[in-house]
Amino acid sequence: MIKPTKSVAMVLAGESLPVLERTFTTVDLMAYGAATWDWHRVHYDIDFAWAMKLPNVVIDGQAFGALFARAVVDWAGPQAFVARLSFKMKSMAFAGETLRMQGEVTQIRSSTVIVAQRLTSGRRLVSEAETEVRLPF
Amino acid sequence: MALLTDELKAWIGREVHYPAREELGRASIRYFALAMGDENPLYLDDAYAQEAGHPSVIAPPTLVCETCQYAHRRPDPNGYIGHEWQLPITDCRMIRAGNEYQFMRTVLPEDRISVTWTLEDIVERPSSRGGTQLFVSSVARYKDAAGEVVAINCETVVYQPMEKA
Repeated sequence: MIKPTKSVAMVLAGESLPVLERTFTTVDLMAYGAATWDWHRVHYDIDFAWAMKLPNVVIDGQAFGALFARAVVDWAGPQAFVARLSFKMKSMAFAGETLRMQGEVTQIRSSTVIVAQRLTSGRRLVSEAETEVRLPF
Repeated sequence: MALLTDELKAWIGREVHYPAREELGRASIRYFALAMGDENPLYLDDAYAQEAGHPSVIAPPTLVCETCQYAHRRPDPNGYIGHEWQLPITDCRMIRAGNEYQFMRTVLPEDRISVTWTLEDIVERPSSRGGTQLFVSSVARYKDAAGEVVAINCETVVYQPMEKA
């Protein structure tokens, strides 16, 4: 039995998505870099990061896109289709940080639900997104 | 001194195509899901994905835009093998500003995805830290073996001058 998918009728404007938290360890950064064929040193080479005047190795900003999409798919269900995802970087995040993702439905247009998402580390805003997901009626 | 030189302006409009070298593959999908700690069975279990209406397991939505699987070259001095313009910009740090992804359809393990990157624009804007910085906008169009666009990735990166030591 698959998890049920939300229909548009089940969604309310202003509804919050479940919070998703993820800590990115250096192992996670290595695994993500390898899985995406991105071998840039800034994600695993601490001497390189220090030479770039950074405090630690950097979480790849593209991984935030995967997290934003995951939070929406986890909430909406397996028949939801993410049609658009726009995200902006607000600050860099580094190995060891625990990122917390929150989301809220802002608009419902026909079969498309628009979700505003925020990714924070403590009180610091790391990234924010607007995601459009198509749901069954 | 202006960062946006005539030499740099000449790069606007350039295009690079990376043909698909193989199918995306189930291994790439599972590896990505594992790396992200995402245990959604849509990416791992054919029977589950089929019950959800797909022919097989599917790729997580953003994988096609995040992977450099199209790449085939030796790593540059930074270790990077993915697409980069190698713009004539010196003494700057490159930072991702944002991405806008559009998805036309779900990507499957059998898909052979080619990528075309276009350098759309380069703009110089004041920086909150003083001075100016460069915003470089590129678009990657991902196509399947039939030439249909499956996803579009509009990416903006910023080049910030490094502080002098």
